[in-house]
Amino acid sequence: MRIDARHLLDRLGKNDFAYKEFEDRFTELELWPILEALLRDPRLQAIDAVETAAPEPVVSEAVGTHAPEPLNALFSRYGREPAAPSDAAAERRGVQTQDVRAMLRHLSDLGSRGEI
Amino acid sequence: MAVIVCHGLKGGAGITFAAAHLAMTLSEAGAEVTVLSVAQRDTLPLHFGLQPALTLPSLFAPAEDAVLASGINLRSHIKAVDDADFVPTLHDLGYLEPGPDRVMVIDVPASEFAFARRIIPHSSANLCVLNAAPDTLALLPQVLDESSAQTIARTTFAINALDETRRLSRHSAAFIRELVGPRLIGRIRLDEAVPEAIAMLQPLARYAPSSAALADVRAIGAAMVPALETAGRPWVARGELAAPSSSRAA
Repeated sequence: MRIDARHLLDRLGKNDFAYKEFEDRFTELELWPILEALLRDPRLQAIDAVETAAPEPVVSEAVGTHAPEPLNALFSRYGREPAAPSDAAAERRGVQTQDVRAMLRHLSDLGSRGEI
Repeated sequence: MAVIVCHGLKGGAGITFAAAHLAMTLSEAGAEVTVLSVAQRDTLPLHFGLQPALTLPSLFAPAEDAVLASGINLRSHIKAVDDADFVPTLHDLGYLEPGPDRVMVIDVPASEFAFARRIIPHSSANLCVLNAAPDTLALLPQVLDESSAQTIARTTFAINALDETRRLSRHSAAFIRELVGPRLIGRIRLDEAVPEAIAMLQPLARYAPSSAALADVRAIGAAMVPALETAGRPWVARGELAAPSSSRAA
């Protein structure tokens, strides 16, 4: 850290800077086709399949402030029915048409709440 | 006598940095810690403020050859990645059982994913270090598809070198957070003090004790402590956790 930055932080009584948060507009979040491509990849459901096989107790959240939820449940909010717990593998291959726009809107909401 | 694996999806994510600081945090928590590097090209000593020319002793070298940094035993075993008997060897050495008193942190380069897949199911936890970057995100489906249920069950994620002033980084971090949920145990802010400490041949805690990255990685280390006693799911039992992601750091 530069010495002038260190002196400024010392004067402010802080250890690091905090930037002002700016809202990410929904239209900006849509600029990343890679996120849409990934959300359409059924292999991402593998992480959910493990949760289905071995349900976890309720835990506190580490990084964000939103409640954790399974990925397939996340998708189900955007227009699909929840996956049957006993059919996780089939669900991995079957999830092809998630409402990506709603997923991105959710990310935008997180940004507007300062959680991104 | 727990084993924690540090691994990642892609080289350059900061796996060794995370492994070194995880070891330091566990040591400060009272554990007897060994860090094992299996990398052919090893940068582990640099994170302890040691000289770049230092060669770490073998896992099987006698105690008088040990390199101790901050009370942590630094070892190397390059052949582990090709050694089919490595897991039985760890058993013989008394590892691979839950317990907070004696810990081995294994620093596994991203390229050694086959070795990681072999060792993680026997470990107490796997800390997967990744960057909030699109090329890293693109690897996630393949990595998850290749991983066994046992591997995924033990895997916790940490985002390293996160620059929250950049829009794409924030969006990528949000995507990871949505994908892995409570498995995301924390994030480490991008901090120039990390390479500066290496350049100064000093541990980060000595060079920049107020470093944002140091505070973040310490919080992640503390959150991993429950995995020492409850193998597999450190995010279940953790208590006080990393700083909120809403804070932005320089």
